[in-house]
Amino acid sequence: MAVVTLEKLSKRFDRASENAVHEVSLEIAHGELMVFLGPSGCGKTTTLRMIAGLESITSGTLAIERRPVNHIPAKDRNIAMVFQSYALYPHMSVRGNLGFGLRRRSVDRAEIARRVTEVAATLGLSELLDRRPHALSGGQRQRVALGRAIVRDPAVFLFDEPLSNLDAALRASTRQELARLHDRLGATMIYVTHDQVEAMTLGDRICLMDRGRVAQVGAPMEVYHRPANLFVARFLGAPPMNILEAALGSDGIGPVASVGGAAVRLASLLRPAASLRRILIGFRPEKARFVNAPSADTLALRGELKLVERLGAETVGTVSVTSGTEILVRTPGDARLTAGGTVLVAVPHDDLYVFDADTGQTIGSSAVHTQTETNAA
Amino acid sequence: MRPAAILQRSLLLVALSVYTAFAAGPFVWAAMMSLRTTSEISRNHFALPSPAHWEKFPQAWFNSNYSVYFSNSLIIVVTAVVILTLIGSMAAHCFARYRFRLNRVLYFVIFSTLIFPPQITIISLFQILVQYGLYNSKLGLTMVYVAIQLPLTIYILESFFARIPSDLFDAARMDGFSDWEIFWRVSFPIALPAIATTVILNFILLWNEFLYAVVLITDEANRTLPLGIQRFMGDQLEDIGMIATGLMIAIVPVIVVYAFFSEKLIQGMTAGAVK
Repeated sequence: MAVVTLEKLSKRFDRASENAVHEVSLEIAHGELMVFLGPSGCGKTTTLRMIAGLESITSGTLAIERRPVNHIPAKDRNIAMVFQSYALYPHMSVRGNLGFGLRRRSVDRAEIARRVTEVAATLGLSELLDRRPHALSGGQRQRVALGRAIVRDPAVFLFDEPLSNLDAALRASTRQELARLHDRLGATMIYVTHDQVEAMTLGDRICLMDRGRVAQVGAPMEVYHRPANLFVARFLGAPPMNILEAALGSDGIGPVASVGGAAVRLASLLRPAASLRRILIGFRPEKARFVNAPSADTLALRGELKLVERLGAETVGTVSVTSGTEILVRTPGDARLTAGGTVLVAVPHDDLYVFDADTGQTIGSSAVHTQTETNAA
Repeated sequence: MRPAAILQRSLLLVALSVYTAFAAGPFVWAAMMSLRTTSEISRNHFALPSPAHWEKFPQAWFNSNYSVYFSNSLIIVVTAVVILTLIGSMAAHCFARYRFRLNRVLYFVIFSTLIFPPQITIISLFQILVQYGLYNSKLGLTMVYVAIQLPLTIYILESFFARIPSDLFDAARMDGFSDWEIFWRVSFPIALPAIATTVILNFILLWNEFLYAVVLITDEANRTLPLGIQRFMGDQLEDIGMIATGLMIAIVPVIVVYAFFSEKLIQGMTAGAVK
């Protein structure tokens, strides 16, 4: 069972004052595709390189198949990696590239030839076996890099932003190919990307990283719907979640947030209101609607429609609400909108998220709201 | 063709012809003289070689000791170039690839030796070689040749090795190769175009090297070709014809090395070795 376990894994580079990766703890199950997602510099690639054995581990334990491998060199970890730049050996043919690792592992020639031919056939590289990498297109190089990993039949596959050098169309088809590959091989895979579409579509689970720390780990839809903090909420989703500053008060029954002239009773908060100083209210652009009149159970915001962007399937409106904050509203593509007028935007209370403005932690959300009500009943 | 284009073309041709005559003229002249005797040359400096005295080549080779000079040169220069290529590429690989304390300092110290003219070091070098019993020996001259050409070799190769993406080394490490194997099976083959450049450069420079050879070798049996050619320049009489023949013999290996390695060079370039 190729289970990869990270326990308080940290990395500090020479002469750095802070950890590049800070106490990352995570267990990746056998056959799982785990995606490390985050902006550049968040430590996701460094974490991957530590798992690969290309970067030393400053502290913490890394175990593969329950066996600590901190001091085991890369070549003995039974791991294969696909690099962002593909890293194909330019002086070797495709055949040579595919077989290079096997030759080192003293697999016999007939067996190497058989495995290379087989992998080449599944990846559609059979015609290209005698070409050098420079004579291949980007997509073909990518497949060779993939083949080089598959041919070794490793316990764990590592992918370091493997699609970022491909054009948009090829990226989409290769992404689907990768998903099928994962289904077929059933191998443990760790996939690093900064592209949320790749993360959402490929990952069994997503590990969001921010400044060297794990921000949240969970299934794609769970992370999307229940962000643990402001960073996750803002990072996932395009266009990103709207965030508004709110004043926290009380109407005698419970805490009330005042947002852009409207007030929302917060049904539940994870922390007592007394300890809160400032809060932020967030909602996803697709949850907001343009309405004619405010209704109960919605947060209604009045503002000026500044910009209308028609993307075909959907139309995104930019609304400037009081205090100059701009919010985005995602509506169906054929919505009749004209920039310039005053509009009313309504967001159901259930679709609001509440964040502590100081710590960025989620302190209330629709999900929590519902749950609490259920508990109360 | 339009008149303007014809004019442009002919101007270009004139310029190229003048440059070719300027560059190749002395060579052609020396080649003609190599087939004429000295007395023929003194009668008319620029006449064509008729009759051609081909027998001058075997004469120079056997009677004037050119065979010895030639083989001395070959032994010393080939050994020096092989050592230079090995040590130079390994050192360049290390400087480009590994982060270690004083990496840049060491690199700068080695590189800075390039700025000293040979005249500064030659007296102390002479003294050192005498003390270690290496004066007047092929081994001594070979070692000196390696030492003087190493900085430039490292300099040229380091910049090339530094351009090899580090992902390739990481990929080879994941594929199970040790650092030593990675150098031989990844870095070295990829760097072949640059290595070919240093081989050509070192070979030509050392093959023609005169200053160190004339100071450090006096023994007839250990003389290199440039020294052998110099022997025909006496105080009273210069055997110009024989000097020209010697020059033609000396030039052959340079052309061979250049032809062979420049092929490799161009191959490497067009193969887009790194990208």
